[in-house]
Amino acid sequence: MNQGGEEPILDADAVAFAYRDKPVLREINLELQRGRILALLGPNGAGKSTLIRCICGRLQPDAGRVLVDGDDPLTSSAARAATGLVPQQIALYPHLTVSENLAVFARLSGVGRREVNSAVARTMDVCDLATVAHRPAGRLSGGWQRRVNIGCAMSHAPRLLILDEPTVGIDPPAREEIERLLTRLSGDGLAVLMTSHDLAQIETLADTVAFLSEGRIAATGAPAGLIREFFGARRDCRVSLADPPGAELAKTLGKFGLETRDRQARHWDGLIDEHPAWHLKSRLPPDAPIVELRVRRPGLDSLWRRLYGADPEQLA
Amino acid sequence: MIPTVARVMWLALLRDRGALMLAFVLPPLMFLVFAEVFSGAGESDLEMRVAVLDTVGSPLAGRITRAIMEADGIVPVSDDSIGGPLNTTRLEALVRDGRADAAILLRAQPDGDLDADPPVVVIGDASRALAAAVVTGRVQRVLQSQFPALGVARAASLIDALAGPYTSEQQEALNLAFAELDPAALEDADGATSQDGLVEQRLLGGGREIDDGVSYYAGAVAILFLLFAAMQGAISLIDERNSGIVDRLVAGPGGYTVVVVGKGLFLTLQALAQATLIFAVAWGFYGLDWFGHFGPWLVTALLAAALAAWLGLLLASLCSTRQQAQTASAFVVLIMSAIGGSMMPRFLMPGWLRELGWFTPNAWVIESWHGIFWRGDGPAELAAGWGVLLGVALAAMLISVWLAHRLAREK
Repeated sequence: MNQGGEEPILDADAVAFAYRDKPVLREINLELQRGRILALLGPNGAGKSTLIRCICGRLQPDAGRVLVDGDDPLTSSAARAATGLVPQQIALYPHLTVSENLAVFARLSGVGRREVNSAVARTMDVCDLATVAHRPAGRLSGGWQRRVNIGCAMSHAPRLLILDEPTVGIDPPAREEIERLLTRLSGDGLAVLMTSHDLAQIETLADTVAFLSEGRIAATGAPAGLIREFFGARRDCRVSLADPPGAELAKTLGKFGLETRDRQARHWDGLIDEHPAWHLKSRLPPDAPIVELRVRRPGLDSLWRRLYGADPEQLA
Repeated sequence: MIPTVARVMWLALLRDRGALMLAFVLPPLMFLVFAEVFSGAGESDLEMRVAVLDTVGSPLAGRITRAIMEADGIVPVSDDSIGGPLNTTRLEALVRDGRADAAILLRAQPDGDLDADPPVVVIGDASRALAAAVVTGRVQRVLQSQFPALGVARAASLIDALAGPYTSEQQEALNLAFAELDPAALEDADGATSQDGLVEQRLLGGGREIDDGVSYYAGAVAILFLLFAAMQGAISLIDERNSGIVDRLVAGPGGYTVVVVGKGLFLTLQALAQATLIFAVAWGFYGLDWFGHFGPWLVTALLAAALAAWLGLLLASLCSTRQQAQTASAFVVLIMSAIGGSMMPRFLMPGWLRELGWFTPNAWVIESWHGIFWRGDGPAELAAGWGVLLGVALAAMLISVWLAHRLAREK
């Protein structure tokens, strides 16, 4: 994954970790260069949080090594200074204003007293927070709080930004703002490592995704490349019925390669080659009680279903 | 529907061990402390540590001394515990430094001379005037019940002086009556005495003129609120843990330890400001000689403030939720304050509770401040108390910092 020979900001090499003899991470290899966005994906318990803790220097891997900006974050404060963490929670002091929060976290992240004001001003500018600079963080909307949450991790100008579910619980416009911000930050050379359950967002945002499963990387690569690799030219089809199908209709759906997992057999999914997929509707009986018929290019959610055998909503 | 709501409340209480303790364990515990104090306060089982010195040496004085020392509720302070035989100066010192609640001095043979000073003196400390009053009452009871002739003889002497003199027949009948009351007492008494004037109560003023309880209660109230405020302030540690702020900081170069130490510094300064306010009021309104003892006061205040701050942070470090910490802090502060002397003077407590009080910071802080303002204690007398406060504060700090370090680096 070393792109263009550039030294990676994050380099995880054969990282393994076990908790009470139960393996949580096995042979994890990851690299992340500046200006790139890497998304860690996987159901709860796949090992994402443990891997992030290793990268932040909170856990010592049982085997392998993690380097951030060339140093071990477990022992090097320089490596930790190169990292900015955005927790899933709104990790702000609610009674402090936005600029006060930025200043506090800048100081606590090692920014010198004299440099704090310029660090706050720079972060305000980078994260576009000037309009809420003097408002208490606790009184901001969810979307603004998320942006300030990111800003506070940026106040010491890290080289690696780690975000845990940065858009959880906010409305679509606010989510788009966050996406634009992250795109801008990575465009400015920041390496971004994030976790998210919003697969549509990751598909457009991330340069690379890594699916974790039982502590291993089950699949990794650029989203489009991975989807192509796994599904080729096939299409992701779904047929939803108002009533359970009769024997004839069920047989026809089965012939197309669609499968149902619900007991009443009202929802049928499957991957079909591109050409028959476009003719699916015309091949079904005209009186079939179709509520929805969807044919689309497979996405990361399709890949998720393939890897984990369940819908993302069921496992996330 | 109403029972359903009640059931939800019951289940919530049942599954919250802290709330359960606060609701059902703390009240009986607090009652136990108060009952131990106040059920004893009006009865003979209120134990008073008393030093007794007989400077007369007569058989009667010896009998009176023995009777007092064996009386209910009087715990004699032994020569061993004070490091040598008693004398009048040492007797007063024992009362002043709190090793004895009161002292009894038999300074003259009880006789009928109404102009003479009372033969028995109960010496108390004005800051513990109640203890002196209780001991005086007990001495009077001993004299009245075991040496009635002394009182009657003194009363007869008074009547003789006011309405007398007695005729020879009256004097003879009187002597006969004395003989029936207590022949042995008369043998030594060298004349008639009356109950009135047998016992004198003398309070040692501590060298200052202000109200006796002020220096005690300034310290008692101060440490109570220092502890409460520090524990409440320290709970922000848990909020930061739960809000992800700690995760954010741990990932950075400063780590979490600086946060805990920073909080410790702030809470220490906050507690110092609280103590300053309380003693400023005592100085402004009650004339406490604050500036006359400012140096030792400041050292004690700093140690008390640091101790309160780090105990609060230690408790917050050990609790996982805000609710748990609030319950635990209320429990700990109330119990420590009750047995440590913040709610009532410890001399009112039974012996075992007094000893238990030394395991609370309250007792050490109160004693230090009280010693400074009441007895004018200097660094030499305060060194032991300061050492305990410093030791506990340091231990609480080291454990809190270690817990913070452990949280930051999980393995």
